[in-house]
Amino acid sequence: MRMDLESIRKNIDILDGKIIKLLNDRMEQAVLSRKFKTGILDTSREEQIYEKIRENSQNLLNGDFLLDLYKTIITESKNLQSKDLKLMAFQGEHGAYSEVAAKGWDSDCVPMPCMEFADVFEGVKNGLYDYGIVPVENTLGGIVSQVNDLMIHTDLFVVGAIEIPISHCLVTYRGNDYREIREVYSHVQALAQCRHFLARNKLTPVQFYDTAGAAKMLSEKGKKNVAAISSKLAAQLYNLEIIKESVEDHDINRTRFLVLSKRENKESGTKCSIVFSTAHKSGTLFGVLEQFAAADLNLTRIESVPNQKGTYAFFLDFIGSNEEENVKEVLKKVAAISDDFRVLGCYNEVSVK
Amino acid sequence: MKNLKLVKKTEEKQKTIIRVGDLEIGKNLIVIAGPCSVESEGQTVQTAIGVKEAGANMLRGGAFKPRTSPYAFQGLGLKGLKILDKARKVTGLPIVTEVVDPRDVSWVCEYADVIQIGARNMQNFSLLKEVGRVEKPVLLKRGMYSTLSEWLNCAEYILAEGNPNVILCERGIRTFETYTRNTLDLSMIPAVKNETHLPIFIDPSHGTGKKELIESMIYAAISAGTDGLIIEVHRNPSEAMSDAAQQYTPQEFAEIMKKARKLDKFMKEDF
Repeated sequence: MRMDLESIRKNIDILDGKIIKLLNDRMEQAVLSRKFKTGILDTSREEQIYEKIRENSQNLLNGDFLLDLYKTIITESKNLQSKDLKLMAFQGEHGAYSEVAAKGWDSDCVPMPCMEFADVFEGVKNGLYDYGIVPVENTLGGIVSQVNDLMIHTDLFVVGAIEIPISHCLVTYRGNDYREIREVYSHVQALAQCRHFLARNKLTPVQFYDTAGAAKMLSEKGKKNVAAISSKLAAQLYNLEIIKESVEDHDINRTRFLVLSKRENKESGTKCSIVFSTAHKSGTLFGVLEQFAAADLNLTRIESVPNQKGTYAFFLDFIGSNEEENVKEVLKKVAAISDDFRVLGCYNEVSVK
Repeated sequence: MKNLKLVKKTEEKQKTIIRVGDLEIGKNLIVIAGPCSVESEGQTVQTAIGVKEAGANMLRGGAFKPRTSPYAFQGLGLKGLKILDKARKVTGLPIVTEVVDPRDVSWVCEYADVIQIGARNMQNFSLLKEVGRVEKPVLLKRGMYSTLSEWLNCAEYILAEGNPNVILCERGIRTFETYTRNTLDLSMIPAVKNETHLPIFIDPSHGTGKKELIESMIYAAISAGTDGLIIEVHRNPSEAMSDAAQQYTPQEFAEIMKKARKLDKFMKEDF
């Protein structure tokens, strides 16, 4: 490998990116640990950390330097723990579209990445996170079945909803020549949504587990001749260069997310979500829908998802507040004529242009 | 001229109309204005706002600059394209920008509404074939040493590859005259119209290279029936990184445009 000032500086930039990413991961763990601690200050734990660091000092890193560095880090950790941060769990790597939605819902929240959708539900249930945000449906891809399956049995409440446009960026490692790009890494769905763009520019799509994961991989490897399709947020987080924004073939790509919480929404909402199932008899679903029609309530979503009992769970969203008398009346009637009825929540929905 | 299969007129009234957004090139007088080079976001966006207010229909600006000297400013490249995109978002003006490297063609097409082949690249046949395969209209400038026949053969290259939307642009040729940068050959307007169905534009900025000569040439070109003009305008010409002597300020351009539009209307009236 060629070694000159330029390439060494490139290595340093890659390492800096990794250090910052790791520092953020560490701060996230510190904030999470607060949920299990009675107070913030824990001198014995701090001593334990400093002790480990002294033992770990190596080569160019002497003990005093490390100690100073860690004192700064721990001061900031305690500072973060003392704030009443709202933790919002999402599935995916940092820079995922769910994180974009989380920031859109509450710009002050702290998005916390989870491996699986189930981890989001579990974490909110156990009080590890204050909120969870999950995608339920996409205008091009349809319903997100894993999330809808989890929604059938959850005890969590829907406390908000947000619909965001999904706009992809072509991103590459800083300093790469865009003309040398041959392969583009991304999630299979994102690649499919940019098919014409890729073909026009003679780029080969390569499937990857996640859009943000592809961006992260590029930033860590500093690869030449490759790019990723990801959110603009991922490009910013992983310090990648955006070659072009809005590379999707159609601009009707939108995803709707639900915000989940252990506690019911305290404020009044304008939209309600319910879930129920019906007996395998003719007219049972009609009987439910009839109630909404009679009360002049506008349904905005109806989705059937097969559940384990061999029946169907129906998800139904409608415009209305559970504080209104006619809504209360309808919900009472529906509860009486359906099975496993549950009001998921009454909330406000945000639509980002 | 006898080898021209696609460029040549087959019937008297045949005329190619190229649609760019709401514009109909080949039908109404189209004025493209903007800086020689994209130098910065502020310079480009401010100039774009200025030319839009003055009544220009499209924005020009070079992101890739073919320069006589390899040490002269070569353009901002991709960054320049992004700045043009920003200017389009602010003003709504479609973008005309030059491509010099076949490897850049698809990327320039991602950002531009019309791609330009400069005079120095008129006979760069691999570049012509490349732009013949894209869906964006091409503004093909006349090479400074080229005859009409050579120029039309270059347009034929583009049409033969499948792109029917070519705009021809006269920008002056080399003669023994040194007073002007080039000699603007306005006789090409009727000549092109007689021979082909393609629209013809005039670039009086490069055609003369002298600000004090440009205005007269604009009126002359309109009188001769040009389909469009491409004029260099810079928010502050004295600071321009290229072609400082031939760029108008937006105010100067606005004054000329008033007269130019009136003249165009007059020339199109029935007598």
